[in-house]
Amino acid sequence: MVAIGDSAISQLRRGVLEFCVLAMLRGDERYGFEIVRALSEADGLVTTEGTLYPLLGRLRKEGVVETTWRESPSGPPRRYYRLTPAGHSLLSAFTAEWTRFRDSVDRLLDTGALT
Amino acid sequence: MTTMTLHPLAADYLERLEHAARSLPRGERRELVAEINAHLAEATDPQMSDAEVLTVLDRLGEPEDIVAAQSPDQPAPRQGPGTQEWVAIVLLLAGGFIVFVGWIVGAVMLWTSRAWRVRDKLIGTLIVPGGLPTAILVLLDLSTPQTCTSLNGGPQHCVGGPSTLHQILSLGLFAFLVLGPIFTAVYLARRAR
Repeated sequence: MVAIGDSAISQLRRGVLEFCVLAMLRGDERYGFEIVRALSEADGLVTTEGTLYPLLGRLRKEGVVETTWRESPSGPPRRYYRLTPAGHSLLSAFTAEWTRFRDSVDRLLDTGALT
Repeated sequence: MTTMTLHPLAADYLERLEHAARSLPRGERRELVAEINAHLAEATDPQMSDAEVLTVLDRLGEPEDIVAAQSPDQPAPRQGPGTQEWVAIVLLLAGGFIVFVGWIVGAVMLWTSRAWRVRDKLIGTLIVPGGLPTAILVLLDLSTPQTCTSLNGGPQHCVGGPSTLHQILSLGLFAFLVLGPIFTAVYLARRAR
């Protein structure tokens, strides 16, 4: 069996992951730990949970999510993430692109041809 | 933010993260550490077995990898002092010989460098401001001229010199003023990142 280049898969993962985070926030706000645990339980999406926190920070800096610290019923305060209007439109744009991309790749992988 | 009691292994992990995050800008470092602290508080509790906590830490990944993910385009943190840091150290130590101004320039370079943390900068500034030349002042004080008079070959009577106690105190102070700046210089050279 030929091994898939580690970097190819991790690049693919890195490229898609931020949109997975945005998608998780489409309905409602969530706190950091909740996002990280949910993503890491999805098969094959995340290798190390810790590296998701820098990603969350970057999304906030880019203005696609905004955050508020709120007290938790137990333990330390939680930081809640919510989509901004810019985040919503970025997510819709990606969803459209992704659908086309996925369909074409699937078709090629299935049949070896595009029609 | 309230500091929660963490399992010793989790606390140790957080400490490693803080250490690894030194190269990040202060704001980013604080946020990252706060998030990971919250994660550890949610995922572990002090009563857990070591094995359970290690599983949580394993899922988080190495602190160095988390910090690297935070700053993918930044070069690896430079180890040790650079040119500015060396000049600052030398000026703090001996720059005061240049009419004291040298020391001030050194202090400014110390505070504008990003290689040291605030605590290091305070130590560098406050332990013997002026550096080595400050010791010279004490030396001058020690050598206050003595006038000795002897009447008709009788016992000598001296006035004006420092008392014995004064001399001992001054010697102690002198030793501190010489060793202090040297220790500080060595300390700064080792702490620079």
